[in-house]
Amino acid sequence: MRVPLEWLQEFIPLDMEPQELAKRLTMRGLEVENIEEAEFSFKNVVVGNVLTVEPHPQAERLKVCKVDIGERAIPVVCGAENVQAGKKVPVALIGACLAGGAIIEKKEIKGITSYGMLCSEKELGLSDDQSGIFILNGDARPGDKLETVESLRDTVFEINVPPNRGDCLSIYGIAREVAAIMDKKIELPSFEYVTDGDEGVEHFISLDVKDLDACPRYVLLMIKGIKVNKSPYWMRRRIIKCGMRPINSIVDVTNYVMLELGQPLHAFDYEKLKERRIEVKVADSNLTFRTLDGQERGLIPGDLLICDGHGPVAIAGIMGGENSEIGEDTETVALESAFFNPFFIRSTARRLGIKSEASLRFEKGIDVDTVEYAGKRAIYLMHMLSGGHVLDGKKEAFKKEEKKRIFVKYGRINDVLGIILSPEEIGRLLASIDINVVGEEDEGFIVSIPSFRHDINEYMDVIEEVARLHGYEHIPATTPVTSIQPLISSKKDRFLSETRQYLYSAGFYQVINFSFFSRKDLDNFVIPDDDERRKCVMILNPISKELEATRTFIAQGLMKNIAYNLNRGSKNLKLFEIGKIFIEREEGLPLEYHSLALAITGRERDYFWKGSPPEYDFFDLKGVIEGLLRIFNLDVEFRKGTEPFLNSSVSGDIHLGEEKIGWLGEVKEGVLKAYGIEQRVYCGELMFDKVMKMGNLERKYNPIPRYPHVIRDFSFYIDESIPVSKVMGMIKEVSPFIVSVGVFDMFRKERRSISFRVLFQSYEDTLKDEEVNKIQDEIVKRLTAIDGIVLRS
Amino acid sequence: MELGSIRTKIEQELSSVKDLSSLNQFRIAILGRKGLFSELIERLKSLDKEERRNYGREINELKLWAEEKVEELKTHFEMEEKRRKELASWIDVTMPGAIPIVGRSHPLTQTLEEIVKIFTSLGFSVAEGPDIEYDYYNFEALNIPKDHPARDMQDTFYVRPGVVLRTHTSPVQIRTMESHLPPVKIIAPGAVYRCDNDISHTPMFHQVEGLMVDKHIRFSDLKGILTVFIHEMFGEKTPLRFRPSYFPFTEPSAEVDIGCVICQGSGCRVCKNTGWLEILGSGMVHPQVFRIVGYDPEEITGFAFGMGVERIAMLKFGIDDIRQFYYNDMRFLSQF
Ligand SMILES: [Zn+2]
Repeated sequence: MRVPLEWLQEFIPLDMEPQELAKRLTMRGLEVENIEEAEFSFKNVVVGNVLTVEPHPQAERLKVCKVDIGERAIPVVCGAENVQAGKKVPVALIGACLAGGAIIEKKEIKGITSYGMLCSEKELGLSDDQSGIFILNGDARPGDKLETVESLRDTVFEINVPPNRGDCLSIYGIAREVAAIMDKKIELPSFEYVTDGDEGVEHFISLDVKDLDACPRYVLLMIKGIKVNKSPYWMRRRIIKCGMRPINSIVDVTNYVMLELGQPLHAFDYEKLKERRIEVKVADSNLTFRTLDGQERGLIPGDLLICDGHGPVAIAGIMGGENSEIGEDTETVALESAFFNPFFIRSTARRLGIKSEASLRFEKGIDVDTVEYAGKRAIYLMHMLSGGHVLDGKKEAFKKEEKKRIFVKYGRINDVLGIILSPEEIGRLLASIDINVVGEEDEGFIVSIPSFRHDINEYMDVIEEVARLHGYEHIPATTPVTSIQPLISSKKDRFLSETRQYLYSAGFYQVINFSFFSRKDLDNFVIPDDDERRKCVMILNPISKELEATRTFIAQGLMKNIAYNLNRGSKNLKLFEIGKIFIEREEGLPLEYHSLALAITGRERDYFWKGSPPEYDFFDLKGVIEGLLRIFNLDVEFRKGTEPFLNSSVSGDIHLGEEKIGWLGEVKEGVLKAYGIEQRVYCGELMFDKVMKMGNLERKYNPIPRYPHVIRDFSFYIDESIPVSKVMGMIKEVSPFIVSVGVFDMFRKERRSISFRVLFQSYEDTLKDEEVNKIQDEIVKRLTAIDGIVLRS
Repeated sequence: MELGSIRTKIEQELSSVKDLSSLNQFRIAILGRKGLFSELIERLKSLDKEERRNYGREINELKLWAEEKVEELKTHFEMEEKRRKELASWIDVTMPGAIPIVGRSHPLTQTLEEIVKIFTSLGFSVAEGPDIEYDYYNFEALNIPKDHPARDMQDTFYVRPGVVLRTHTSPVQIRTMESHLPPVKIIAPGAVYRCDNDISHTPMFHQVEGLMVDKHIRFSDLKGILTVFIHEMFGEKTPLRFRPSYFPFTEPSAEVDIGCVICQGSGCRVCKNTGWLEILGSGMVHPQVFRIVGYDPEEITGFAFGMGVERIAMLKFGIDDIRQFYYNDMRFLSQF
């Protein structure tokens, strides 16, 4: 809500600096988001008093004016028609700069020297109006700089009105809050509503409100014989400052009163109403209707309509129709001031996608008590600006309701807020915003809620008002008194934190991607149709095709991160992401799992002077995963890879028993190409929920051996069809004294040669050579018994 | 032979010895089993007793002297050798070292962990809920009725009727209260989603929700807990203020502002010249929410709060573009 302070001043004198007022409004819950000081784009323009106006001897359409600019009078040649002696006007002096950037010079116009220029609003940058010279208020003093003239100077507050405070969507509403802050009371503006006694509204129009729940109050007023013209500067300026657009002297008044009082009004061109009557009814069939913005709107049963007996003339509270719009030649106005049920306005406005200033206010609920007052104020202003005569009386439908009453216990207020206020203090605070105590009982009081506060419906709403009025800054900061509970620390958090710590120290950077991806990613990764990962959750209203669904695996995100970084010169990357993936299912919410994806590309570093670091390969990534799973005491098995997006020769599936819990390998070239990556990438993904389920973080102490260990090396030719992990397992099985088996060499010529280093250790004794030799022989015996394994001598 | 001349001869020869190996040769020649002294001692045998004793003593003295001299030189040469070796292994200490390659956590994770640590130290447990959530938990149970502006298609990602991507972490409040009797003290960190994608919005971001519910929780307690949090998070001297605001599921509601960390309150672009920055939303749990989860609002009170992790991270690290968090640019990630 934009609030010009100059307008606000009309209701309450503001005897404080704007900054201070802004602060106090903000602390009352009306956040002043911006303080806009009026800025003028002109320079060296002063107030002038037109002394004489004479026709130009040489030019028929020009006039020569003598203008008093304070210490002297100057001759100015002018072409505008509205210049008259005695009017106060803006005079751009020689050297002045106008809104468009024009510089004023001394100028000879057909033989007469002009020492300045009289300006229109447009030339000063005040509005778009250039129909004549801008006539200033009579109290402007000649010679004063224009920017110091009171009616031009203004500060506008941009107030963020909370959605529940519809009562603050008007100057008067804000003034009411300001008055409460200043401990003052304000009144509605008074005016004299003069009607033409002979003719009454009831002779011209009839009113029929079919549904008083949908429209609890509807008032029709009329004015005849008006002349639609342009509104005066002060009104247009206020409308502009509030962020609206001036249109004509009738429409402007409806908007002006809406801004002033918060009551949206609608003016019908009476002559255009087909049957001289107004019906307010809920539509019972589908129909189309052209609103005054020229758009065809589809209406459905349930929409609240204003009809003229022939068809709709307005969508109640949202927008009027083209068929009854005020035009240049409108002579008779039927003015609607009403209270529509917010529910109807909200649902229709939302469906049609219209957010008008009127619907905004009706949606939140307006003050039913000022409906008639606001209508009369508008008719009064129309009469003032457009002439004509006001018809006597009104047509009205009104379903009057009792004011809301709420019971609140004093003790409850203090208990909830943590303050100590006496009932009197509470009563006084509430009275400042027209919430009055109307009764007392049972250690509490009954308060009545003013008709404009639709947000106060139960005792907690009243407590909130007390807190707001007392000031949050005066509520202490205390330590809660509550029972101590044990912290629930989740296994998940410990697993996540162990994983992250491990990966950081292994050189991996954590990335965070959106949970979204595209079905294109599934295609890029050649995910088969029957794969679980195809079951992605589609977004009904996605932001873009790239973000059309929630991801079913994370690796695709890492490809995008790698591509992004490669394009920016980072060639060596170790990335991981741990986050949620989502699998759609028939019933209930989609399944959500935690997944961990890792990717490496390039080498440890580009160069090092001691020797070039080798490129990452499969085993660098595999080792990371092996080490990670070891933290969780998981003994996994790596089998030949089956993922379609990995190089089948350089990939593996990770198995825990018979269950596949992940995969790793070299990403296929075609997949990389789809992401614009031109270097080898090794990637893996683990179902982290499985890791959490099957793993543990238990640590058990093993005694440190007191006897020395023995190391023996073995070399075998091992057929490629025999997995090395199997051979290692067999070696380990040979004796309980074998505590570790490692591979320290591997080469391929005609045959594959693998060299193992085996560590023997006894906890009871020093192992004797003969004992180790026996085991050694057994190892060789067992292995060479297998077809495809030969001892290398 | 005259012993005096032997001494002179030894001295002369020693002065020409230049390294350990020639010293060794010299030692063998003079002091070895077949060396000069052995020869001299052999010769003693031919002398009479008196002469042998005198001459023998002189030879011994001379031998001791020679041994000492050799030992001295040996130490000298050994030291020299060590020094030479050391010099040979000289390195330029200004050459670059091999900095270990370690990774870092994402700045959002760092911020989130810090927030969680503060609240767990205050007795809050971590709770969680699904990212894809029923409309009921995301809106209805939070007192956001069907026609509330927050439910506009523009803001919420819909998956199917009645199912949305959660727009805030507040549904975790409801899920926790539904399954636990008071007292409840939880925080719920997590990703949330809104249909927004511009310079200051990403379609996914992170929030931390908090909830403390018990028999006598007051609005002043909300102020107390959040004041502790902000002082821990942003430093003890950080000014803060609570001001009235509106959320459908809390009442009274409070927006919490901290003194602008950029301009220290004097006014700048970031704080829109107010000197204050909105940091979190909070309030007393709305009685309607208690009724929905089956708590008695006459018996139970509590407060809830929620904050944006990105916003806090941006303020803490001085990041000016929220989208940076999701580009995952190494030049960005390596700074934290
Ligand atoms: Zn600032």
